[in-house]
Amino acid sequence: MDKIKQLWKKLLQTGLWKLGLFFALIGPGVITSNVDNDAGGITTYSLAGAHYGFSLIWILIPVTVALIVIQEMCARMGVVSGKGLSDLIRERFGAKITFYLMIILLLANLGNTLCEFAGVAASMEIFGVSKYVSVPFGAFFVWWLVVKGNYKSVEKAFLLACVFYLSYIVSGFLVQPNWSEIRAASITPTMNFDSGMLTMAIGIIGTTIAPWMQFYLQSSIVDKGLKAESYKYARMDVIFGSITVNVVAFFIIMLCAVTLFHNGLKIETAKDAALALAPLAGSYASLLFAFGLLNASLFAASILPLSTAYTICEAFGWESSLNTKFVEAPQFYGLYSLMIFLGAGIILLPNVPLIAIMYYSQVINGLLLPFVLIFMLLLINDKRIMGKYVNGVLMNIISWATVVILNGLSAAMVISAFMN
Amino acid sequence: MNNDIGPNDEEEAGNMAISGEPQVFLFLSELLGKKIIEQTGKELGRVFDITAEFLEPYPLATGLTLGSAQKEKPLFLSWENVVEVEENIIVAPGSADKLIELNLGANELLLRDDLLDKQIVDTDGAKIRRVNDLQFLEIMTGLHLVHVDVGFRGLIRRIGITKAMDFIFQGLFDYQLPDQFISWKLVQPLLSPDRLQLSITQNRLSQIHPADLADILEDLDIKQRKAVFQSLDVETAAETLEETDPKIQVSLINDLDSEEASDIIEEMSLSEAADLLGDLPKAKAEGILNEMEQDIAEDVKELLAHPEREAGGMMTTSYVSFRPQMTVGEVMEILRTEAADVDIVYYVYITDEQEHLLGVVTLRDLILADSGTTLEEIMDERIISLKLDDKDDTIADHFAKYGLPAIPVVDDDDKMQGTVMFRNLLDVVAPHLGK
Repeated sequence: MDKIKQLWKKLLQTGLWKLGLFFALIGPGVITSNVDNDAGGITTYSLAGAHYGFSLIWILIPVTVALIVIQEMCARMGVVSGKGLSDLIRERFGAKITFYLMIILLLANLGNTLCEFAGVAASMEIFGVSKYVSVPFGAFFVWWLVVKGNYKSVEKAFLLACVFYLSYIVSGFLVQPNWSEIRAASITPTMNFDSGMLTMAIGIIGTTIAPWMQFYLQSSIVDKGLKAESYKYARMDVIFGSITVNVVAFFIIMLCAVTLFHNGLKIETAKDAALALAPLAGSYASLLFAFGLLNASLFAASILPLSTAYTICEAFGWESSLNTKFVEAPQFYGLYSLMIFLGAGIILLPNVPLIAIMYYSQVINGLLLPFVLIFMLLLINDKRIMGKYVNGVLMNIISWATVVILNGLSAAMVISAFMN
Repeated sequence: MNNDIGPNDEEEAGNMAISGEPQVFLFLSELLGKKIIEQTGKELGRVFDITAEFLEPYPLATGLTLGSAQKEKPLFLSWENVVEVEENIIVAPGSADKLIELNLGANELLLRDDLLDKQIVDTDGAKIRRVNDLQFLEIMTGLHLVHVDVGFRGLIRRIGITKAMDFIFQGLFDYQLPDQFISWKLVQPLLSPDRLQLSITQNRLSQIHPADLADILEDLDIKQRKAVFQSLDVETAAETLEETDPKIQVSLINDLDSEEASDIIEEMSLSEAADLLGDLPKAKAEGILNEMEQDIAEDVKELLAHPEREAGGMMTTSYVSFRPQMTVGEVMEILRTEAADVDIVYYVYITDEQEHLLGVVTLRDLILADSGTTLEEIMDERIISLKLDDKDDTIADHFAKYGLPAIPVVDDDDKMQGTVMFRNLLDVVAPHLGK
């Protein structure tokens, strides 16, 4: 008994378990992943399940691998260099490239923010609240909590609310799907080369691996101030997070496949999905779905503008801190407020072509992703930045392969967008 | 903001020129990429980077490289061969034979690789800025680096859209984007950690107030933070450390060996030192305590025994006390020699042989009193004191109610143990105040 006590005491003293546990629970990787399950993500997953049943579910496995590969590199760069991604890009590739990259990032993230507010509007409409009430209120809430509130504790509250994603998993079991069919679908890649299915596949990849994530994840890792030796915790965190996001995605696709696809219901938006769920899976499932969408939208809407403002200010050397006054960091607060103002404002315009905007924001993301990934690979193989932590041969093969495939898909999407 | 060149500064840079000689300002971004052509018309290549030697007050360009130094050693041409800088860089005939492999001197650096797009510390504004461009003054003696461009105009010059932006701003707002230059003399470059030592040989960081320096440290990445901190002299390091966030304090001290750490911690005020040691891993703290001077180490250990948020943990034991029979003259004499090393001089405490607190005298009382007066006659016996285990809110109440700069702490027998300064309370309470 004494021995166990001693061992326990020793374990406590090392403090390592705390770090490990902490990272597994609320590390930057997990937070990034949960923001990744945003309005756009939930919409895409629901549509994939509703339109194509189980047939696209296999794609989540390669996506998980790709996500881990990419985020692991970000985490490693953050820990080793102690610098954010935009910082590294500026120092390595100069002002010109950085400037244009940041403009595209601003546009892409503005599009994403817009989607988040669209998500707020859609989810609140399920509860019977007009978008003219919910969107301004949501925008003010997001602005207020970051500028006036204590951002860190709010982040934890959102994260806690993500526990509601478990409801997707519970609902997934409740609808009693045919597990053997799912198992078969998960491991047999099926792909029809009809343009709709291809677009949907690219959509799933695009919403899961978005450019802003790499910037956000790396900055959060830097903020934690980890030393290169404790890097393994960051890696655990990233792997755990990447798996989480895809498990949730899996259950959303499955839920919609079992209920909507098998009953032949066609839907256009996440709101349709939530409403259609009510008669099939019970009104609780519908409400939980709506609440999940609201939480995801608000969480992402509060992080995206902030992350964008940080990233851009970091690249150009502008003051960027929530602890400064407006006059001391005008670019930071300006960018932040502009993102929220435009993101929420455009949703409120009458007759705004929402579907088209969402589609083009995906296209801009697709345009940006190849550049970001290639810069990342060049940076992570730069000995002057990474020292002995550069990619190994195997890691380089895996990561280049991942990047080439992702870039090919992005290119396909962008080209098809211009062809239409 | 101190972004424009002060008139004095410009004048001084100008004075480097012999009067009457034409002086030209050039930007690094304009020089990079220029063709290098011999007077005979033979083209050698294009400028990739410019090397400069760290001289006071302004670095001097020593040569140019024809390729990137990132992979292999590029070709290098000494600046002596440069005849004229115009549309192209004109070099003397026969320069092609003088091209050698780049070999940087101990005091030399590559301006593009080491400075452009990197971070520097503006020592006047106490801020970290990013270098958008560098400005040279071309005079007879050569090309001197005089200004660092940190402004938006420098950024758009780099992007190559100055004309378009000028047109837009002029047309729409009737506004010309101003230049934002910082004189080289007010700049501390932050080179990559392996080269940082070079730039810090002339350390300008000590011109910054420790509180501002602490903010700068917090903004730097871990490697730079460590390098900058370790470049500071012991006294500045201690003052800066006192102002730094506890988490960062711990990581900075963890990077030092016990001996270096103890030198710095000895210079800190006792209560700050105790707080810091309390935050460190036990083994590390003990190692440092062993290296510290005996008496300081013992005082710190005493403070460490109390929780941080109680009077016992907040107080400092570095104060002066005297017996009631001492005269003001004697006390002043002693104070003059002791004042440099004690945390608090504003109060002098009067105690008996058993260290029972009898009264207090302020420095003001001492200055106003005749030197023959005894402390007994002028001391204030209405003592406001705290108990060792008083919590922070009780302490805050006391400070708020009595408006004192410091309050003595006594144990259950009324024996003096230490004194809590208002500043110590603030350090503990301020982080919890929120925004």
